[in-house]
Amino acid sequence: MRGNVAKLITALFVLTALACAPPSYSGPDADGVLHLEFWNGFSGPDGASMDKIVQQFNREHPKVQVHVQVIPWGTYYDKVTLGLAFGGAPDVFVLHAQRVPEYAVHHSLAPVDGFVSRYGPDPADFMPRQWQAGIVDGARYALPLDCHPFGLWYNTKLFREAGIDHPPTTEAEFEADARRLTDPSKKQWGFVLTDLHMTGSTMFAQYGGGLMTPDLRSSSLDSPASLKAVDAMMGWVKDGRICPKPDPGGAWTEFQTGKAAMAMQGIWMFDSAEHQEGLEYAAAPVPQFGPTRAVWASSHCLCMPAKLPTERQEAAWTFIKYLSDHSLAWAKAGQVPVRKSILESADFQALRVQREFAKQLPYVVYEPFSVSVNQTAGFADTAVESAVDGVEPPDEALKKAAQRVNRVLALQ
Amino acid sequence: MRRRRDGLVATAFLGPYAVLFVVFVLSPVLYGFWISLHSWHVLSTSAPFVGLRNYSGAVHDDRFWQALLQTAYFVVLTVPLGNLVSLALAVGLNQRFRGDAFYKTCFYLPVVTSVSVLAVVWRWLYARDTGMINHVLGHPVDWLNDPKLVMPSLALMSIWWGAGGNMLIYLAALKAVPKEQLEAASLDGATSPQRFARVTIPSIRPALLFGLVMSVIASSQVFGQSYILTGGGPADRSLTVVMYMYQMGFGQYQLGYASAVGYLLFFFVFAFTIMQFRVMSRSLVSR
Repeated sequence: MRGNVAKLITALFVLTALACAPPSYSGPDADGVLHLEFWNGFSGPDGASMDKIVQQFNREHPKVQVHVQVIPWGTYYDKVTLGLAFGGAPDVFVLHAQRVPEYAVHHSLAPVDGFVSRYGPDPADFMPRQWQAGIVDGARYALPLDCHPFGLWYNTKLFREAGIDHPPTTEAEFEADARRLTDPSKKQWGFVLTDLHMTGSTMFAQYGGGLMTPDLRSSSLDSPASLKAVDAMMGWVKDGRICPKPDPGGAWTEFQTGKAAMAMQGIWMFDSAEHQEGLEYAAAPVPQFGPTRAVWASSHCLCMPAKLPTERQEAAWTFIKYLSDHSLAWAKAGQVPVRKSILESADFQALRVQREFAKQLPYVVYEPFSVSVNQTAGFADTAVESAVDGVEPPDEALKKAAQRVNRVLALQ
Repeated sequence: MRRRRDGLVATAFLGPYAVLFVVFVLSPVLYGFWISLHSWHVLSTSAPFVGLRNYSGAVHDDRFWQALLQTAYFVVLTVPLGNLVSLALAVGLNQRFRGDAFYKTCFYLPVVTSVSVLAVVWRWLYARDTGMINHVLGHPVDWLNDPKLVMPSLALMSIWWGAGGNMLIYLAALKAVPKEQLEAASLDGATSPQRFARVTIPSIRPALLFGLVMSVIASSQVFGQSYILTGGGPADRSLTVVMYMYQMGFGQYQLGYASAVGYLLFFFVFAFTIMQFRVMSRSLVSR
């Protein structure tokens, strides 16, 4: 009896092990068609336009058929990471620019410099700053498909009613406009704080501080520049003059429903603004608050797993290049392309919102391309939140955050 | 022969559970301990043995202590009040009245509902400008974004979510209180509060001990509420130990470190539970 139980347990273990074993990649099917898996997190309207581009690719390439799996961003990285670690990873997948180094140093991504030089696209056609996304220690592991910067969204109706004819470009203009647009009797705010991470990163970059020093060796959060950046943000919320206390979940709704005249958010909000009934809006570059012009941005980067067989890599690169070549269709869903030829085209220049966001491409700031950015970015966010919420004095919060970042960096 | 047959029957009944227990509970628990002794990024091809370095790393991280203190705060907020609510509901339901089964079901329903569903519902209830709670109060309270209010808000929701569980246990215990003793007490002229304090409470004490121990363990592992409602924010003020462990394990894929944090939490809860048993069983015996 005991022997049987032992056998049963062994059988269960073997079954589990078999179920967990990485599936081996298959070649083309009987008809010579190679099937590729493509994972991304485009679960909104962006997913629909991505789907259209993929279908078009499939029509034009009968020998390569791409199958898309959309996994919402919330769980996306867990799936990709576990797939890369234990098998089951797709042939092509998306990583945000700041996440590429983490996967590259663990040798999970296929180097793609060879594909670029053999098959294109032409590096000269890329915006120089965006071309840096996907490069780790001098080698390229991913191709940036787009760039999605933070930007200023403003309610043109409220601006018109207040007699303001253009969006603010400087801190002084921003202050003045926001004051004029704040009307407590109507429960109307000049400005709302949405995402503190991206707002904080933008402000740090403008003042010259931030998560890490340019050499990525230590934190710059305890620098005077970082303190100035946080002070500026605290000024917006102080005494409720122009901006309510941060409500990350509800702030964008305030803008959508016309209760806030300005909000900073990413280009990906395009669809929700466009389809909001009764909202008259426009977009503009983020005003300049600090001494440097800068704004937070990231890019969706297309990658292949390191273990992919050559035959599949070749097909996957054909697909990756196709997506990049067709990023105008992608831009229409609320993205900014990074190919100069597309940016300069009349078709793109006709997109009134995307065009404004695109003006920021030459000076956007990515999060530090460090393997530790995912581990440390939260420390800066907590400091910014603590300061803006008034839980902790800003200098103490920033000092604590810098210590936490330095601790992680020292362990590297 | 008969003994042998009994043994076979017992094995047949216990076998399936034993297999499930070994595969899904015991081996992960032991494997987890083994992982906690390694420096293991989920993507790395090698996972060097590092002894207790993950443990010392966690003990030297101020966020771990912050998470532990906040978890303790959550336990303090939920356990006494939650058990009082359960007891009050049980006492109420112990009075026979029409429709008690309906109320019993209503109070128990949240317990069998997934925390993710309830958290989404409570996000709407708690919403600052559109939430029902603020609508009734007529005042925009920032339940989930105010760093001082966030833990009490999560605790309130958790009490509502979990009260029904202990309520059933207490109700069963109340039904088992010897009628003769209660009757004898009334004949001796004891008032109703006196009867409750002197007869009912002592006889349901084992159930109370069980309820308190289980709810301390459950509350120490709070995760779903802060994961869905606040993500640990604002400013880390709803970061709990399990949330911290999750961030380390799944946000940052440091499997060894996250396992060590899990084991640290286990040690704390284990020590506290033993203490609780000692203190409370002593008072049980002294009665």
